Amino acid sequence: MMDTLLLLALNGLIWGLIIALIALGLSIIFGLLDVINIAHGDFFMVGTVLAWFTLEATGNFWLGFIVAPLIGFVLGALIQRIVIQPIRGVAALSIVATFGLSLILQESVRIAFGPVPRRILPPITGTIPLFGIEYDIYRIFAAVLSVAALVAFFLFLQHTKVGTWMRAVRHDRDTAIAMGIPAQRIYILTFGIGFALAAFGGAVAAPITTVDFRGGVDILPVCFMAVIIGGLGNLPGTAAAAVLLAFFEGIIQSVADPTIARIASLVLMSGVLLLRPQGLFKGHVR
Amino acid sequence: MSGRVAIERLVFVLFAAFMLSVPWSVPALVSPFWVSVITEILIWSLFAASVNLLFGYVGLLSFGQALYFGFGMYGVGIGIDQLHLSFWPAFGLGIAAAVAMALVSGIFAVRLTWHYFAIITVVFSLIFYFLAVRMKPLTGGDDGINFSMPPTFTFGKSVWSFTDATFQYFFILATVALCFYLMHRVIRSPLGKAFVAIRDNDIRASLIGVNVYQTRLVAFVMAGFLAGVAGALFAFFGRYASATYMFYQVSGEGVVWAIVGGAGTLFGPVIGTTLFIVIREVVSTHWEHHSLIVGVMAILVVILAPKGLVGLWRAALSQFERDEPAAPPPQALRAEP
Repeated sequence: MMDTLLLLALNGLIWGLIIALIALGLSIIFGLLDVINIAHGDFFMVGTVLAWFTLEATGNFWLGFIVAPLIGFVLGALIQRIVIQPIRGVAALSIVATFGLSLILQESVRIAFGPVPRRILPPITGTIPLFGIEYDIYRIFAAVLSVAALVAFFLFLQHTKVGTWMRAVRHDRDTAIAMGIPAQRIYILTFGIGFALAAFGGAVAAPITTVDFRGGVDILPVCFMAVIIGGLGNLPGTAAAAVLLAFFEGIIQSVADPTIARIASLVLMSGVLLLRPQGLFKGHVR
Repeated sequence: MSGRVAIERLVFVLFAAFMLSVPWSVPALVSPFWVSVITEILIWSLFAASVNLLFGYVGLLSFGQALYFGFGMYGVGIGIDQLHLSFWPAFGLGIAAAVAMALVSGIFAVRLTWHYFAIITVVFSLIFYFLAVRMKPLTGGDDGINFSMPPTFTFGKSVWSFTDATFQYFFILATVALCFYLMHRVIRSPLGKAFVAIRDNDIRASLIGVNVYQTRLVAFVMAGFLAGVAGALFAFFGRYASATYMFYQVSGEGVVWAIVGGAGTLFGPVIGTTLFIVIREVVSTHWEHHSLIVGVMAILVVILAPKGLVGLWRAALSQFERDEPAAPPPQALRAEP
């Protein structure tokens, strides 16, 4: 009993770290561009598929960790320029546009990859003893990678010129433009980074979950929950909320089935929304 | 009467005449299959209208209308399959279930606005989607429940039921038309003016004495009613109810149809729904990957016609009206008064 609880809690924790990556992408896209991105789950799905294709083409799994975010970044930049730019600022239209995008991404993957879900074998197998249970090494590795990517992202945001520009545009668009910040390029960059983060999450998650053209559909609501529970615009809050939510679901799964766990986290989410719409964590909103 | 109103009236009369002739004209011109497509379009138009009532008139973007659609569907399905109700009580049960659900969730949901409202409506709908998936003995989960259709009217020996495709079509047409008429009346009423006042500026609305919370709740319940009627009709039409129709993607489709057609206009949702379902039906018989076309269409419409197709049409009409006096038309046209 204790062992199952520990196993599921750890699984939840690690899944939460991956969700945190994806949700951060969703949050910066929302914060900077006012785009409610319905296609964000599919960005994650594209990441898993890119990892699969990289493995098929080169036989090297590790390359996927570079290829997936790179292609994701390019795709994201193109999408911003072609689809998001013309409707910038109107959130209702962004829902329709990204809904269309979601259909296009899913259908393209179905054509290229096929409708049948597939599994990728983890590049490192085996278990290590951890708190008295034998735990899968790849999952530990996935956690380390996710944390590294999260840290890298926050360092980039806080300590580079471009990161500062991104924060400035999010804080006050007009003033930022008046100060000479190239807002349009920042928008393209932000969308690219958002896609890249989700695609990287996909590559990391590919051996844990299945590779499927509908793989993004279940991810999307969880990411939105993390963004809201963490507080809109509160990036560390979003990451923390993602980990907490998945950890919470993992713990509930040890006593009930996954559907009940999902319902429980949704009920928790409603409570947070109604009682603390600014998010669970205090601090600067925006 | 301005030219625009006259033209739109003419279009409406032609549209109504066409709708009344569908069971005879469509099989003669195309094929009987298209009668059932048009029936389906009617039902989904009503669903899109429920999104539109909230978003287009009150400014609340609901991403969870599938919940009330699903309740309408399951009210009918469970009513007939397990409670062995006849047609009308099952219809009533479906609508009552949807309205009750909308009231209960609305009490909480309309306390929030904009992003938070969109998220809480989707969260509520997901909770009940997962519950429906899990309560398989009652709901059949993703597979759904099938039932056989009880008759709608029985007068002595003559029986009217949905097994007659023409009766089914006219019953659904009449119900949908009635709902649209009710919506039209509500929008024209003082309540409808309060809706629009809240959409445009909720603080100003509250200052002139509109009870914002109550008005939003009324709109939410009305939208739940429309979605519930659509769900109940869809259950009758398909003779089944399934949890898949409660998933958030169904809500998303309603939002897309309403916005593409033109949010804040009575017939915008009908046009958006028609466009997407016709594309789906036409393309899917020739090409498996019709979703690609639907996706491209959705993106093109929001880029080229941000006010929806009705907005595009109205802009074209007013352009036409403005041009008319500028360029003197040929003598032959001037003969008209």
